[in-house]
Amino acid sequence: MLAQKLHLLRHNVLSFVSSRTGSDFTRRQYDVIVVGGGHAGTEAAAAAARLGAETLLITQKIMTIGALSCNPSLGGVGKGQLVREVDALDGLCGRAGDAAGVHFSILNRSKGPAVWGPRAQLDRERYRQFIQSELLSTPRLTVLEGSVDELLVSQPNPEEPGHHRVTGIRLVDGSHPILSSSVVLTTGTFLSGSLFMGQTTSPGGRMGDAQSCAGLSYTLKETLGLRVGRLRTGTPPRIVKESVDLSLAQLQAPDKQPTPFSFLNTHTRCKPEEQLPCYLTHTTPGVERVVRESVHLNCHIQQDAKGPRYCPSIESRVLRFPGRRHQVWLEPEGLTSDLLYPQGLSMTMPPELQLRLLREIPALHRAEIRTPGYGVQYDFVCPTQLTPSLQVKSTQGLFLAGQINGTTGYEEAAAQGLWAGVNAGRTALSLPPMALSRTQSYIGVLIDDLVGRGVTEPYRMFTSRAEFRTYLRPDNADLRLTPRGFEEVGCVTLRRYKKAVSVRDGLQEALMALQSVALSSTRWREKLGNISLSENKSTTLNGLDLLQYKDVSFEMLASAFPECLSQYFEYSQRLKIEAVYRPHCEKQSREMERIRSEESLSLPSDMDYLSLPVSLSQEVREILDRVRPNTLGAATRLPGMTPAGIIHLLNYVLRTGQRNRHTEHRNRSSQKEGEKGQLCASNIPISQ
Amino acid sequence: TDAYLYSQSSVCDAETIFALSSGHGRCGVAVVRVSGPASSMVLRNMAGLTQALPPPRTALLRRITDPKSKELLDRGLVLWFKGPHSFTGEDSAEFHIHGGPAVITAVLQALGSLEGVRPAEAGEFTRRAFHAGKLGLTEVEGLGDLIHAETEAQRRQALRQMDGELGRLYQDWSYRLKRCLAHVEAFIDFSEDELIEDGVLNQVDSSVRQLETEIERHLKDERRGERLRTGVQVVIAGATNAGKSSLLNTHRVPPSRGTTRRPLVEREGVRRARQRVEQADLTLVVVDSTQLPPDPQLVAAFLQQHLSTVLPSPEAGMTAASDKVLLVLNKSDLVPEEQRERTEGELRERPGLPPACFLSCSTSTGLEDFLTVLQSRVKTLCGDPLSGAPSLTQARHRAHLQQSVQALNQYHQYRDQDLALAAEGVRLALTHLGRITGRVGAEEILDIIFRDFCIGK
Repeated sequence: MLAQKLHLLRHNVLSFVSSRTGSDFTRRQYDVIVVGGGHAGTEAAAAAARLGAETLLITQKIMTIGALSCNPSLGGVGKGQLVREVDALDGLCGRAGDAAGVHFSILNRSKGPAVWGPRAQLDRERYRQFIQSELLSTPRLTVLEGSVDELLVSQPNPEEPGHHRVTGIRLVDGSHPILSSSVVLTTGTFLSGSLFMGQTTSPGGRMGDAQSCAGLSYTLKETLGLRVGRLRTGTPPRIVKESVDLSLAQLQAPDKQPTPFSFLNTHTRCKPEEQLPCYLTHTTPGVERVVRESVHLNCHIQQDAKGPRYCPSIESRVLRFPGRRHQVWLEPEGLTSDLLYPQGLSMTMPPELQLRLLREIPALHRAEIRTPGYGVQYDFVCPTQLTPSLQVKSTQGLFLAGQINGTTGYEEAAAQGLWAGVNAGRTALSLPPMALSRTQSYIGVLIDDLVGRGVTEPYRMFTSRAEFRTYLRPDNADLRLTPRGFEEVGCVTLRRYKKAVSVRDGLQEALMALQSVALSSTRWREKLGNISLSENKSTTLNGLDLLQYKDVSFEMLASAFPECLSQYFEYSQRLKIEAVYRPHCEKQSREMERIRSEESLSLPSDMDYLSLPVSLSQEVREILDRVRPNTLGAATRLPGMTPAGIIHLLNYVLRTGQRNRHTEHRNRSSQKEGEKGQLCASNIPISQ
Repeated sequence: TDAYLYSQSSVCDAETIFALSSGHGRCGVAVVRVSGPASSMVLRNMAGLTQALPPPRTALLRRITDPKSKELLDRGLVLWFKGPHSFTGEDSAEFHIHGGPAVITAVLQALGSLEGVRPAEAGEFTRRAFHAGKLGLTEVEGLGDLIHAETEAQRRQALRQMDGELGRLYQDWSYRLKRCLAHVEAFIDFSEDELIEDGVLNQVDSSVRQLETEIERHLKDERRGERLRTGVQVVIAGATNAGKSSLLNTHRVPPSRGTTRRPLVEREGVRRARQRVEQADLTLVVVDSTQLPPDPQLVAAFLQQHLSTVLPSPEAGMTAASDKVLLVLNKSDLVPEEQRERTEGELRERPGLPPACFLSCSTSTGLEDFLTVLQSRVKTLCGDPLSGAPSLTQARHRAHLQQSVQALNQYHQYRDQDLALAAEGVRLALTHLGRITGRVGAEEILDIIFRDFCIGK
């Protein structure tokens, strides 16, 4: 048995001690238990604890908490937006990135601020340290080393939908159960994971770690009856830096001035001049030859588990797009690391062939491999079985986040982890679950896509998935999420909230000040020098109008009106972005309103669609029964759903909603208008 | 919420919609409804009301003109309804015009040319009324069915249009626009890490320009475009030798204008036959009476079975009980009189079966009765605003194409300044075109990206 014995934390060599006092180690009852210490698990545990829940994080190896299992980088296009949003909700990964980054750049700098992609190469050690010390200092959070053998489930609470209720977990060592109101599973690739290299296969979720417990898989599949699918992923060999001829690769410098991920930070730990470069090189026809010669020795690519169409192994890239040159990035692994990470060369062939392949690339002609690349196949739980709060529909109190839901990427995992942790905490504290709208955040888009449509390949965030991309920008994530995170969700600390509010008020004031300066276009030209304004001479333009022009910056306006504008210098970039995007966002606001009102109409998860007494075709009934959409909005987006079906459903929900509201009024003295409860239809007006 | 950013002007931009709310056949008066904040502007522009609007809910006889060309379109009654005292709860207007197809088309096109005004989607008037709290819960019961009917009618109409040259043209535009969008999106999401060939955007530039030119030319040059198929489509369906051709030759359908007769030859293949039936407003299913079971009690089940093989599957909205089907039991002269009468008795008012008429094409027995039934059906269909009003479809298409071209302008406007806003223009153009050719989701665009580019990181 590879699973480790339960270690009480005060004995741990890392002195990784919880903030709780020693006597509490015997505690056998928590509000929330989080299983897994990766990006999803750490965010989930921290979020639940911030919310006020007594939280226990269980991981197989405390040493690997906060480990970057694959690439040493964070953020990017779409993913950077997620990091900013996690940060806006007071999550960890943004600040961890600022502490661990060794190479910062804003991708897509030339393409418009809505699609800027903040990214950093990371020092693995610093990242891990930051996450571990952050968890250590989180009140109400205990960390335990151990392996979970089974989930404890019991009869459901009859007041709520679901067939089971989770009551805690049991560890592999067979000690007493540990009880909790909610459990968050973030087991990554460890659910029935197997590792592939060449022709050898071994059980496990990550090289060098213990395999996962069959018990957990069994509970999910057999006891809870959850549908699972199988996906695959992979990682490249790590190369000894000294053995690489970097003079044959193209140097990629970081931004001169690093931009922090976190809204709380004004600068990064790494000084601008301390940053490390990346290198770019390309595959050659020789690489393709080695791949073709090794196909018969490569189990992983012969399997039919679904891999992603993006981030594929080098094998599938050259097999799918033969005769092309493919990019390979050589990325630093940290300030003191002697390794390089070859991004784009994920491979699963036997190690001796991996070496042959690498050496077909000029810069790598003498390369030495420290650890070879390998593939992983693992089970995921079809995420359509979850609610928008990431709870398993059939099991009260059980939440899933990260790769177990079929996603790929640290940022996707962190985003789900945070939201699952929030809802696990809320459930434990008897607060209603909450959902994030896809009109408000990429996290909302991510979760809505997962639970509404499911996955057929590992899901990764792209900006093209967001309908309201021009509003869901990295620059305004704090305004979109932080106030709500504090006022309604409860996962944001007062310090961050105060900061966001002061930024919001400052921006608001600045926008009003800009609107208050109005001149004719002729006068503007006199003031600002030779700028091209399309309006005719007599048109009066205010400062905000003017800021929409490509060549006009806030600094120019502030120098023309120093007395009323210069105090807002700190917001100059945000004001410029706001001015350009505002008219477009306003145009979309009606569509956003419509989607939001449909999203706020919950469909009960235990609805019996097959016998619902409304006029629906058998076809539509079957679709609804299969997918069980959580909201009317999700139902609308289902392929095969008819407009008439939607209206019938709406009508049904309104009626039952009205009935429920009457009873709820009796039970609860105050109910927030528009709040997302089960069956809350209050924001659709109904004639009296 | 985001009240901070959008509080000032989010309320003002609700769209204004219009629709023909009377039938498109030869009716004396046609009613065109307008609803939304621009209704008063529409009324002023089209009815030449430079001064005050008429008092609410009072009919006024006006010259109705094209707001751009000032050309006289018709003389008719106009009415003004100030919100919330209107059907939808919004500001609304009505135009009561002469019922000829030319007048209706002209008025609808003029409406579509006004900024911020567009043709209504299926059921949109009723839905707005519902959202404004103008409908009680019991009325909403009917709303689902109404929308179902409207979508069905629009779907049939669209299928018909899409079948022809015009459909192929729109599909081609849609395909090209999807590729443009996929390539812009690929450039945004992946070009930093991938080998997205230089010049991808330049190709998009020229494709977008080409599309704009083609759509604009199409909008200007209507007469060369294919005429939309008009009228009520009647399809005759049945097995070999059931008597479809004889029915077509025998029944001189009374000159109920706009009725097309389209015999279906069985060799045409089941698939195409079903497609035709799906597009039809009315289907005559011809059955050889001599093939009926002699025991009249078994006939209903037999016919039910037969219909299920002739009609498209139920999800296409066509069921045997639908009022879009008539059963013709041909060769009645070859069946004993007594058996025929008993069978007729069995079939009368049979739930789940369309009305059945015994008929003999060779002796013309039963023809009179059959024609009476047929005529009343066609009349209902013509008077029904839902059954494929081609002028309305035309106006819808025009409006969406115009909006599509406008959106493409945004692409060029922002191409060098902000690619996210430029892409927004292509997205919007595709949304408008998608209203004609079918909605396009993010997944479809991603499929094109991953087909056309090797995304490795």
